[in-house]
Amino acid sequence: MSGPLLLAVESSCDETGIALVEDGRRIHANVVASQVALHAPTGGIVPEVAARAHLRWIVPVLDEALATAGVSMRDVDGVAVTYGPGLAGSLLVGINFAKTLAFAHRKPLVPVNHLEGHVYAGWLLDPGEDEREAPPFPLVALVVSGGHTFLVEMRDHLDYRYLGGTVDDAAGEAFDKVGRLLGLGYPGGPAISREAARATAHDRVFPRAWLGESYDVSFSGLKTAARRIVAQAREDEGLPADEREGALAEATVAELAWGFQDSVVDVLAAKTIRAAEEIGARGIVLGGGVAANSALRARISGEAAARGIAMVIPRPGLCTDNGAMIGAAGARRLAAGVRAGLDLDARPSLPLARPTSR
Amino acid sequence: MTTGGPILLIDTATTRAVIALGGADGSLRAERGWTAGYRHGEELLERIERLLADEGVALADLGAVAVGTGPGAFTGLRVGIATAKGLAHALSVPIVGVATGAALLDAAASAAGTGALVLVQPAGPNDRVLVRRGEAARILPGGTDPDLAPGERLVAVDLAGRSPEDAAALGGLAVDGLAAAMLATAARRLAAGDADDLARLVPEYVTLPRGVRMPQPDEGVEVSGATPERAKP
Repeated sequence: MSGPLLLAVESSCDETGIALVEDGRRIHANVVASQVALHAPTGGIVPEVAARAHLRWIVPVLDEALATAGVSMRDVDGVAVTYGPGLAGSLLVGINFAKTLAFAHRKPLVPVNHLEGHVYAGWLLDPGEDEREAPPFPLVALVVSGGHTFLVEMRDHLDYRYLGGTVDDAAGEAFDKVGRLLGLGYPGGPAISREAARATAHDRVFPRAWLGESYDVSFSGLKTAARRIVAQAREDEGLPADEREGALAEATVAELAWGFQDSVVDVLAAKTIRAAEEIGARGIVLGGGVAANSALRARISGEAAARGIAMVIPRPGLCTDNGAMIGAAGARRLAAGVRAGLDLDARPSLPLARPTSR
Repeated sequence: MTTGGPILLIDTATTRAVIALGGADGSLRAERGWTAGYRHGEELLERIERLLADEGVALADLGAVAVGTGPGAFTGLRVGIATAKGLAHALSVPIVGVATGAALLDAAASAAGTGALVLVQPAGPNDRVLVRRGEAARILPGGTDPDLAPGERLVAVDLAGRSPEDAAALGGLAVDGLAAAMLATAARRLAAGDADDLARLVPEYVTLPRGVRMPQPDEGVEVSGATPERAKP
């Protein structure tokens, strides 16, 4: 082993993830118990249900991760855990489980910010994947998920300067909302991406909220516009207003999905590229569940390549919540001397900031 | 099943967290309780560490972990069960989930002597949860009174100011006797080889936001990243 082996625990929302990551980069195991299907009937996450599912799955996920990596707790050099931001009840399960493992096995406990994890997913290497260069500093990271949408500048490890972010809804929330309007169910992101790929006309244009020269973004106006546009489309097709009563023509759904997605992608890509140019970034890192969106990936990659900026986008399974990304960030924190005591508690609104070493 | 080492008990279902060490026979050896409010997670492990040190028991000596499964405050239950699971896993010892409600009734019964008892605990700001021996816990919406049968007495826990004085007094006795009652149940189950499945043990939840159905414990979850040749856990 070339560096410390971290056991990393993530439970901030609706995925129970435990991973073993060597030296902050190489994944030895990355097991995720996803509750997406569990929350589909309610069209969103019910926190009590999520927390109970974390309790149900955390032990099998740990066992599976250790077995996959072929190691025991004795081989582990530290335990990293997400302590915020996220749902308090969900966070508590991972935090208390991780704390207890660190206590009982006498390992250092490393607290990790979930958002930082999404950024550090860009450093991860799958088992057997060829070595490649780490993302170069300075860089701009765009994190887009169901709960977060923001841009940060990084000039060094764990050094974050917030550039801008959503002033209302996260991008993923807008995807969920519009997915429901189009009758595509929950979660909306993958369904909209799939439908949008079938569009041929590309003539449905949704509005963009540019918010001037800032790096902030807004999606609430887009949601309102989407509601109006979908209502008009339903009227045009002679359907009742309630989206549960009768489905739009498949072609209409595809065009509307494309129009909505194009608006989101356009704004996010333009702001990310402009930020990268302004700070003289050598790299762009994308993270968060919405970074799994292929249109967003393609658009930012294309523009970055045209400017000679290195582009790092983790594979989709590393963009959504997982333990490996916490292990990647945790290794940097471990090296910086960041530790938590046995009194570590959930921080549901934890901001992204340089950690203080204790 | 049990190795004969001491049983570590954790209950975080009420606002008074309790940890205890018991003999394999269920006898209470040492107990620590504190007002945790809704922040059980900050102190639990440090208190466990201190209890073990005070009693001269090494972590590795423990024979089993027993944990309260509620009903009670969600936050406390998550902290307690996640901690108990971590310990049972790390020490490779059996885990026993003990219904806190039933244990509170046991404790109140040994303190009060005879008579049928009905437990009430808070459930959110307005509702209460009602537990009768041998029945599933159920919600008592705000404003409704428990339908006590003749001779039944109320045991009120965490309901100071929201319950009759004698019910609150009985509730206080129940909380005082909780550790002993839980250890007795845990020891009996361990002796009978009736430990819980470490993975499947979950808290007893009675309330959910209106209209939401509590899914089955194994429902709706997909595990990925597992080695393909291994069966799903």
